[in-house]
Amino acid sequence: MLLQLNNIFKWVNSGGQRIFLLKDINLDVEEGEFISVMGPSGSGKSTLLNVIGMLDTFDEGEYNFLHECVHTLKEKHRANLYKEYIGFVFQSYHLLDDLTVQENLEMPLLYKKFKGSERKAMVADMLDRFNIVGKKDLFPVQLSGGQQQLVGVARALIANPKLILADEPTGNLNSQQSEEIMQLFKKLNEEDGVTIIQVTHSEKNAAYGSRIINLLDGRKV
Amino acid sequence: MFKNYLKITWRNLVRNKSFSVLNILGLSIGLAVTGLILLWVNFEVGFDQFHEKKDRIYQVYNKYNVDGEIWTWNSTPKVMASVIEKDYPEVEEVSRYFYENTFLFSQGDKNIKSNGTIVDPSFLEIFSFPLIEGNIKTVLEDVNSLVVTETFAEKMFGNQPAVGQVVKMDNADTFKVTGVLKDLPNNTEFNFEYLIPWAYLKQKGYDDKNWSNNSIATYILLKEGTNYTAFSEKIETLREAYDKEAPDMVTYLYPHTRTHLYSEFENGVEVGGLIDIIRLFMIIAIIVLIIACINFMNLSTARSEKRAKEVGVRKVVGARKKALVWQFLGESVLISLLAAVVALAVIVLALPSFSTLIDTELRIDWSNPLFWGVTLSIILFTGLLAGSYPALYLSAFKPSAVLKGTFNKINTLVTPRKILVIVQFSVAIILITATIVVKEQISSVQNRKLGYNKEHLIYVQIEGDVEKNYASIKSELLDGGIASSISKTNSPITESWSNSWNIEWPGKSPDNKTLVHRMPADDAIVKTMGLQIKEGRDFDLKKYPTDSTAIILNESAVTLMGFDDPLNQIIKDNGLDWHVIGVVEDFVFNSPFQKIEPMVFEGAKAWFNMVHIKFNADNSIASNLASTEKIFKKYNPNYPFNYDFVDQDYAKKFVGEQRFKNLASLFTVLIILISCLGLFGLASYMAQNRIKEIGVRKVLGASVSGITTLLSKDFLKLVGISLLIAIPISWYAMNQYLQDFAYRIELSWWMFGLAGLLALFIAFITVSYQAIKAAKSNPAKSLRTE
Repeated sequence: MLLQLNNIFKWVNSGGQRIFLLKDINLDVEEGEFISVMGPSGSGKSTLLNVIGMLDTFDEGEYNFLHECVHTLKEKHRANLYKEYIGFVFQSYHLLDDLTVQENLEMPLLYKKFKGSERKAMVADMLDRFNIVGKKDLFPVQLSGGQQQLVGVARALIANPKLILADEPTGNLNSQQSEEIMQLFKKLNEEDGVTIIQVTHSEKNAAYGSRIINLLDGRKV
Repeated sequence: MFKNYLKITWRNLVRNKSFSVLNILGLSIGLAVTGLILLWVNFEVGFDQFHEKKDRIYQVYNKYNVDGEIWTWNSTPKVMASVIEKDYPEVEEVSRYFYENTFLFSQGDKNIKSNGTIVDPSFLEIFSFPLIEGNIKTVLEDVNSLVVTETFAEKMFGNQPAVGQVVKMDNADTFKVTGVLKDLPNNTEFNFEYLIPWAYLKQKGYDDKNWSNNSIATYILLKEGTNYTAFSEKIETLREAYDKEAPDMVTYLYPHTRTHLYSEFENGVEVGGLIDIIRLFMIIAIIVLIIACINFMNLSTARSEKRAKEVGVRKVVGARKKALVWQFLGESVLISLLAAVVALAVIVLALPSFSTLIDTELRIDWSNPLFWGVTLSIILFTGLLAGSYPALYLSAFKPSAVLKGTFNKINTLVTPRKILVIVQFSVAIILITATIVVKEQISSVQNRKLGYNKEHLIYVQIEGDVEKNYASIKSELLDGGIASSISKTNSPITESWSNSWNIEWPGKSPDNKTLVHRMPADDAIVKTMGLQIKEGRDFDLKKYPTDSTAIILNESAVTLMGFDDPLNQIIKDNGLDWHVIGVVEDFVFNSPFQKIEPMVFEGAKAWFNMVHIKFNADNSIASNLASTEKIFKKYNPNYPFNYDFVDQDYAKKFVGEQRFKNLASLFTVLIILISCLGLFGLASYMAQNRIKEIGVRKVLGASVSGITTLLSKDFLKLVGISLLIAIPISWYAMNQYLQDFAYRIELSWWMFGLAGLLALFIAFITVSYQAIKAAKSNPAKSLRTE
């Protein structure tokens, strides 16, 4: 068992009313799963992803990640936890414009206190694996959307996380680029055993996964 | 990691050139101003601090109770030094310092004028003025020995060795050069090019033992380990046994190191001095630096949206808040380092003009570790201060918010920045008001009725053979049509060199100790100066030989003496009876900023130092000067012809206030500039942030002018609030400033109104550029971006 959500609630108070963003969510994720989260806009997909990624808190319920109780952990421990085990991929890539491809890949390693030589080896390995060695000195603006997302995925993977959280990773891409990224996810999941949870609007993309979770108004349906 | 930060910072700077320029420029102006002020402060604070024995050097002061008020002054009787030497074993050395005098030194055909004084041989032991040549123990031993500075030696002897040369002083006594001093540094109170031993004065018979003739300075060096407090108590009563007239006058030791910065006394208590101005400027320096830092904060947080993504991404891949705080702080320290480099360049370029402005030769001591220490600490301090708010603010962003594009905190972050803008503009308005008030005050005093005619009027010192040949000089000047009138006087008309509370008149009460100024003059003083006669007549020695003991009063003197009919009254002074022959209207002779005090012109029986010459206005000044020089050269051949114009002399009385005005204007302009840089940045940020709102408004039919007004209004409101804060503060401060002047303007509402309008105008220009640009943007474009 990689992670487990039990009766998770999240709400905001607006105009004297309590609006539920997540309502009684229960979810078990085993290692090696590839899950797609679907639902209309505002159904709580991203919120759920953020909660799983520990970027956001919740108001009620229990969250266990690798047998640690996330809901009782202090901020610092929580940060250590997601730093070590979780990688993020975003719809708009979120690469740092002022850094080259190589430097973008290196950045997570800096915060994880890897040595210079180790970092170099890991970055080189990643560049190689994703076939982007020739682009290592380019800045994000010099790349196509698909290539940027490729770098985004590579950055998420570089520290060998157990879980990849992808928030509409193909939302800004054309169909061919989408196809490539999804193939990549599939390969990572099947060959390397990386657990993936993705948010998507596309039935086609969802079909790559092993399981689909549908959300509506913060509720699992 | 550090390299990564550095890279990000550098690329950020390069990529956002206009922002970087605004930011670095603002900060470097602030740093340059602070640097210049600190250089000046360092110079003033270092005055006379180079004497090795400085902690044991004291100057002897007197304190005396006059009419219930304690007067403090620093001149002493000549005889006091010998008493100190005899009665106080705690004193290691004592030296007198005669007042500085300019004399003519000659050797063969070579004549130079030089300023210097007479001292005891121990002077060179007490103070650290190192000798290049000569033995410190013996240089001032011989009566006719002369110690000169390098400059003097070079002027007089060129490349010849100076020691052993013989020169004549004022064509009378000969002196032999026994030593050469290193030129005095420019941060010392002393100003001499030559030193003559006290023995010379004694030989000449000028070394009187009169305890009431307080005319020279006395310095002492205490023995090591002497307790100052105990000793100063002991020496207080020095005069008791010697001074018959004022045995209760207190002898007081003042630390020489304090002379330059303090030494202003009120009722016997030290009340400050130059240090007050230094403190004021330190405050200005700090304010300018803080304003520049505020700017930095404003501009940095204004760009927060751009950086927000970076913060989010870094946090998601594992950065802690602390790491981000350090990253942003490091960034601002780096920017402050760049700004400091620019500021140093500005300082180096501006130093000569700034030195002229404050009339002090400043330089940078590049080899001084203190200089680099202070520079680095300022860079660090500025970087940390300027970066603190942006660092904490930026690093607090939540990744879940900034990365999902829902980041929109405009309203919450505006308030602190509004306050920053208000602070900046309050300071700017206060400074604008100060500049206006000082300018008005100066021009009002400049337009003050002078009471005499300063045009075509020069004065020449009576020296050499001028006194002997005065009659011939006078007749040649008058008969040759060069001068329309000429009069000998005690001092230049622009100064009073003599005053007394002992002048007596009929009906004077014995405890009236009002000072009356004396300005002795021999003949035709009213005509020469162009004074306005109110009653009676001018001195006229030809017609009335008894005018040599006549006296002319100014109106204030008449009021003081309470005469209903001043003419023919008898006034006693210096053992003579002077009869009043005339009254002139008050005229400005001391500071034009103060009220006119009682003064009298005593007649030809008095003593004279100057000749005032009123030129014939029909000739050109150049030809008059040339003819006058010829005459003086003829009758006083050994002296170079030196003269001063009275109108130029009078103009010098404004130098101090003018300087203050110029500095105030300079700082005002710089602070406004810095504030505008900040405002400009903020306005561009605002316009960017409201681009969607502007788009919507335009689609719904708003006009360009309407939107411009909408955007500008918010900023002008801030300037309005600054005005409300600034007016009371500047009213209070300017009122305090004007209290120093007896002759002063009244504060008026228009001065504040003008300052406010100016600030509003400048702010409007700055903001409206961005506002118009935003208002003109195509709504279709701006709305699509969402």
